[in-house]
Amino acid sequence: MQIIKSFADFGLIIDILNKGGVVIYPTETLYGIGVDATNPEAVRKLTEYKNRPFGKPYSIAVTDKKMAEDYVELNPTASNLYDKFLPGPLTVISKGRHNVASGVESEDGTLGIRIPDYLKILELIKKFGKPITSTSANASYKKRPYKISDILENISDKQKALIDLIVDVGELPKNDPSTVVDTTLDDPVTLRQGEIKFSDRNEILSKSEEATQNLAKEIWQKYESHKGKRAIIFALQGEMGAGKTQFTKGLAKAMGIKELVTSPTFALENEYGQGKEKLFHFDAWRLENPNELSALGFENLIKNKSVISIEWAERVSSIVTEFDDEAIIIWVNLKFGKLENDRLISWGVTK
Amino acid sequence: MKILAIDTSCDETAAAVTEDVKVLSNIIWSQASAHAKFGGVMPSLAQRMHEERIDWVIERALKSSKTKIEDVYAIAVTIGPGLSIALGVGVNRAKEIAKKYNKKLIAVNHLEGHVLSPLANNQPLITNIKYPALGLVVSGKNTILVKIDQIGKYETLATTVDDALGEALDKAARMLGLGYPGGYIIEKFSRLGDPKKYHLPIPLSGQEARQIFSYSGIKTSMMRLVEKQKPLTKEKIYNLAAAFQDIAFEHLIRVVKFIVRNSKYQFHDFLIGGGVAANVQLRMRMRKLCREFNLKAHFPYSNKLYGDNAAMIGVAGHFKTKRQEFIVPDKIDRNPKTKL
Repeated sequence: MQIIKSFADFGLIIDILNKGGVVIYPTETLYGIGVDATNPEAVRKLTEYKNRPFGKPYSIAVTDKKMAEDYVELNPTASNLYDKFLPGPLTVISKGRHNVASGVESEDGTLGIRIPDYLKILELIKKFGKPITSTSANASYKKRPYKISDILENISDKQKALIDLIVDVGELPKNDPSTVVDTTLDDPVTLRQGEIKFSDRNEILSKSEEATQNLAKEIWQKYESHKGKRAIIFALQGEMGAGKTQFTKGLAKAMGIKELVTSPTFALENEYGQGKEKLFHFDAWRLENPNELSALGFENLIKNKSVISIEWAERVSSIVTEFDDEAIIIWVNLKFGKLENDRLISWGVTK
Repeated sequence: MKILAIDTSCDETAAAVTEDVKVLSNIIWSQASAHAKFGGVMPSLAQRMHEERIDWVIERALKSSKTKIEDVYAIAVTIGPGLSIALGVGVNRAKEIAKKYNKKLIAVNHLEGHVLSPLANNQPLITNIKYPALGLVVSGKNTILVKIDQIGKYETLATTVDDALGEALDKAARMLGLGYPGGYIIEKFSRLGDPKKYHLPIPLSGQEARQIFSYSGIKTSMMRLVEKQKPLTKEKIYNLAAAFQDIAFEHLIRVVKFIVRNSKYQFHDFLIGGGVAANVQLRMRMRKLCREFNLKAHFPYSNKLYGDNAAMIGVAGHFKTKRQEFIVPDKIDRNPKTKL
């Protein structure tokens, strides 16, 4: 292990990185530990040092947005974050392009990228020409490293032997570690509206949450007679705050369900009522792929002729439309109107 | 008596070893990367990940507390509320271990774990707590205020009728184009902004007597405000984040205040847990409220006790052990809808 006190000798650092070596370096937050993120051998060595099982991803440090785009796909949310907040203490997770060593991206292929607000590191990466890993230099579950002794006092001799170089610039100011932001959920949904053919179509203007609930009640009364004969799916589409949960509240009330209906965003699925009067309430927002609806037992619910409400149905429309024989599907679009509480609600049915 | 506790209620695979209310180890493996724990989930993958990791997490919890499985008195496991297929992984593993090693088994409600999380490593509080006490859980999934008649006996005083507080913060972050975990980013950015730069209406202002929390209205107002302010600059984002957080907390405080002020009970202790309780600004405001009503505010002793974790399940399990509330392994089942 070599210790140097400054970045004066870039050549030495780059040489070590090129050989697959492990380098501890300062950033604007903590001491980080870097290896060539494209070198599988180096990443394995890092994983051994961090003492964590293979499969936990590493974020990487790059010089700028342009370099980031060689390694990830930037969606508008990510692009916005890069423009406004980087370089800075923010790690932005995007869909990876699989141009790094295995074990760096997460199991589902996402990758966290950071542009440290630390000039010397940016210069180093520029000269090196490849991204380096950007994880804190402590072993897993150990103290946050603001000075080199924080690291060395908490690791084994075996771990010490894995470090090739330390750039020790003294104690760093006690800034928080970088904030990790996942942008992959905000990938724009390609709603193939063409596939959904409304056999009839209606539109009303709702002026309040109560009116939205009442509309649900009216629509329910129209299709209630199918209950028990076929599954009934309310496929709700609309932006955040458009009233999808309000609509479902009205639906539950109309069905005679007294339980409190709340947003299923985090639970993914809520179930209300008893016996034959049951309502299954899904939220597809957090689902990364339509097939995931099956993992939640969607097919069985259709088979059992259940009543189902799905928020963010556009995210799973490919699965929902598969059941247009077995189920009555009522597509409901909720849009913001001119005034604060105005909502334009349209609906149509595929039979 | 040592308890091995397991929680797989959502995205985290967690195991802990506790002894009475002492936390000996508390291992949490977040499925999303480091802090991005409210990111997207794939239920099938979530289940597989829990399955792949649970043994490792349990082993690690035992090892870092220097405990042999033989020396554990009981296994405590979360049965709900949570994501059904995720819960199943923890419940099944707990069942297997209990059978294999002939251990007692305890079914724990995740929410009770959060309510009791301030009791971890806090023997003085257990000795001195006066009942009824108040309990508040604020997280991505729950916003609930309860009366604690005694440990194990709770009455709901107020709950959210739409979004949970943490969920509302996440959604505000999304409106600002900030990604996940929104609550955490909103907290960071709020510190850099001025909450008074923008006006957002306080939800259900003047209707505190309804004893409900609601975040659907403020979501709409925020959406409108953000649209009006576009294009957003860094400063605008900081100020909007600060304004939203301020009003979201103000609503919570007002409802809690109303209930405390109008309750026929004289409360002394207030236990506060859940992921959003880790927010420094919220803790400050809850402390202020407590001072005003001569209440003692109690928070978990460690950051790892706020979000989902198994140590709190061990603590809840400890009190169930004292009450001999065990369950036969063949009878235990997940219950995603279980209530407090």
